[in-house]
Amino acid sequence: MLRRELAIVLAARITWLSAAAAALLVGHGFVLAVDLFTAGSRSALSNALMSREFDPLLGIVRPTLGGLYLATSLFGPLIGARAIAIEKDRRTFAARLLAVGSAGRFLASKGVAALAGTALPWLGAVALLESWRLVGGHLAVGETAVALFGHLLYAAFVTAVGLAAGALARGFAQAATGALLAIAFTWAIDAAEGFSALAWLGGAAAWSPSTHLRPFEQGTFDLAATGWLVGATLGALVFAWAGCRFDWHGRRRAGALVGSSLVFVLAAGGLRSLTGAWDLSELRRHSLPPAAAAELRRLPERPRLVVNLDREDSRRRQLESDALARLRLARPDLAVRFPPDERRAPEAIERDDGYGRLTVFVGERSRETTSISRRELTTIIFELAGRPLPDWSAPEYPGYPLVVEGGRRRMVLAVSYLALPLLFLFLGVALTTGRRRLT
Amino acid sequence: MAIVEGALELQEISVDRGGARVLDGVSVRVSPGEIVAVIGPNGAGKSTLLEAAIAVVPLAHGRVLVNGRATRSLAERARAIGFLAAEAEPAGEVRVGRLLEEPGPDPAWARELEARLRLGPLRSARAATLSRGERRRLLLYEALARARPFLLLDEPTGVFDPLQLVDVVALFRAVADRGTGLLVTVHQMSDAEALRSRIVILNRGRSIAEGPLEALRERVGLGAGAPLHDVFVALLREEKAHAPA
Repeated sequence: MLRRELAIVLAARITWLSAAAAALLVGHGFVLAVDLFTAGSRSALSNALMSREFDPLLGIVRPTLGGLYLATSLFGPLIGARAIAIEKDRRTFAARLLAVGSAGRFLASKGVAALAGTALPWLGAVALLESWRLVGGHLAVGETAVALFGHLLYAAFVTAVGLAAGALARGFAQAATGALLAIAFTWAIDAAEGFSALAWLGGAAAWSPSTHLRPFEQGTFDLAATGWLVGATLGALVFAWAGCRFDWHGRRRAGALVGSSLVFVLAAGGLRSLTGAWDLSELRRHSLPPAAAAELRRLPERPRLVVNLDREDSRRRQLESDALARLRLARPDLAVRFPPDERRAPEAIERDDGYGRLTVFVGERSRETTSISRRELTTIIFELAGRPLPDWSAPEYPGYPLVVEGGRRRMVLAVSYLALPLLFLFLGVALTTGRRRLT
Repeated sequence: MAIVEGALELQEISVDRGGARVLDGVSVRVSPGEIVAVIGPNGAGKSTLLEAAIAVVPLAHGRVLVNGRATRSLAERARAIGFLAAEAEPAGEVRVGRLLEEPGPDPAWARELEARLRLGPLRSARAATLSRGERRRLLLYEALARARPFLLLDEPTGVFDPLQLVDVVALFRAVADRGTGLLVTVHQMSDAEALRSRIVILNRGRSIAEGPLEALRERVGLGAGAPLHDVFVALLREEKAHAPA
């Protein structure tokens, strides 16, 4: 059964055309990243201090995966939706389900096949990153693998959304529209976070996949982010399963959809509350210095922070991506409260005198600060715990500046804009050519 | 209607669509090894009857029994019933050989089907490149190879030329001889005649006659040898005459 479903996905022109177009998108992101990295590296090569800033994870992997995110978001829903909706267009949906005898098995084989199609651009991204190594670039295996793993989870989520749309819609056209709208909705969530007028929508950011991709792109394997992506994928699959039940009508179907919504919210929301994260970046550079992190883990009392900063405040973003992320790696149980997020009425948005202050609690003791520096906050935590700040030294990240020019740049261009898209097109032609051959 | 063990029974089936009743209290029984042909003008409710039997459309009234038990779950229906829709198309991307390799419970029967439907020479062709008749033969293979106790086939004969029709009718007979009950909708009267089956005639969502062709001829007063088409027209006129103004 799986071989049949794989053939339906991998012998379809739309799959390979999508893969070729996606390869161009991912390749373009890669070329831009290489050029920018090269431009900065020219001056950094003569300055050791500057060269430390040249982090291939930040400068090459993330922009490439940005292209992959766009490609997966645009083409993944179509591949997922088609896997099921094509059976409706062909009037074989009910017959196939009766033949298989179980909506779960039907969905499992469709899902695996659709993921194989959606993951093709992901393989393209892997090939491009390998070409970075071939031109002499540095990639740390652990952090790159974690970033790629996060995007594979995203591909699974997008595929599941497509499958749900395919199962619930009447045909491929309707399913494709629905699936793309669902993904566009997650982009709307991302966009809404930036508007202070819509600050009450800020909590919705927790329901955007891009929020949960961020830790992976920093080389951190984060259980909460993994949990959300897995839970949301499972939730979407439950929608798809309910949609496959062609024998459910009226109230039963409505009840199944309401139940699916609950499962989606509970699975994604519940698994998001998992705690635990592992910094797999090279030299664990996204963690606190080793001695401080180890000592912080040993503190018997759970540190708490009250942060009086708005979502759209750049200091808060800096705090969340740096100090809080590092503190959470050492203390997954760190409790953080943002009072501005709790306001309900628009008039409460006005900033009071306490705005900008952070209060650190350890047990019954507390101290206020306006600093968002990780060292300052860690120092306060230890002082409140009655301990000295441990050794703050950390291995120096050397940085890996690289100038890619001449023949090596031409190779990058050829792989990104020609070889990879053409490879997908060639494979597509080979696998989908419909000449009639009789035995 | 008495419950018959081992039969597929559609009891008093009514279906509403868009606020209108498109099937109204239709009952059909299919015994193992029996072929029942459902005929009727366009819009009579033939396809809807089959869809109601597998629950693709909700029932406004009535029930579907297999072996005297109401079918409630998808798994129960799947164990008992195979289905082929009227305008179904095979998976065009897949090679015929791959579709023929899908596991069936009886490999010998699958090989016989492949030979009878003359699919062997098409093994390396993609399904999308086949002719309409070949695609239909492939779909028939997929439906018949799974060997469910009952098969619901919606207009399975419409695309075949007279010679192919002879083979397909013989195949349906062979399927019935294996104990499978077939409920087949047919648009062409000649096809229904060729099946030599029990016939159910639907008109405007209601069953207006049921029985073997000879019994239907007798009912409308036509002699032996009268074609089904004449019997059908006579029954429709009879129904129209008795219909309330």
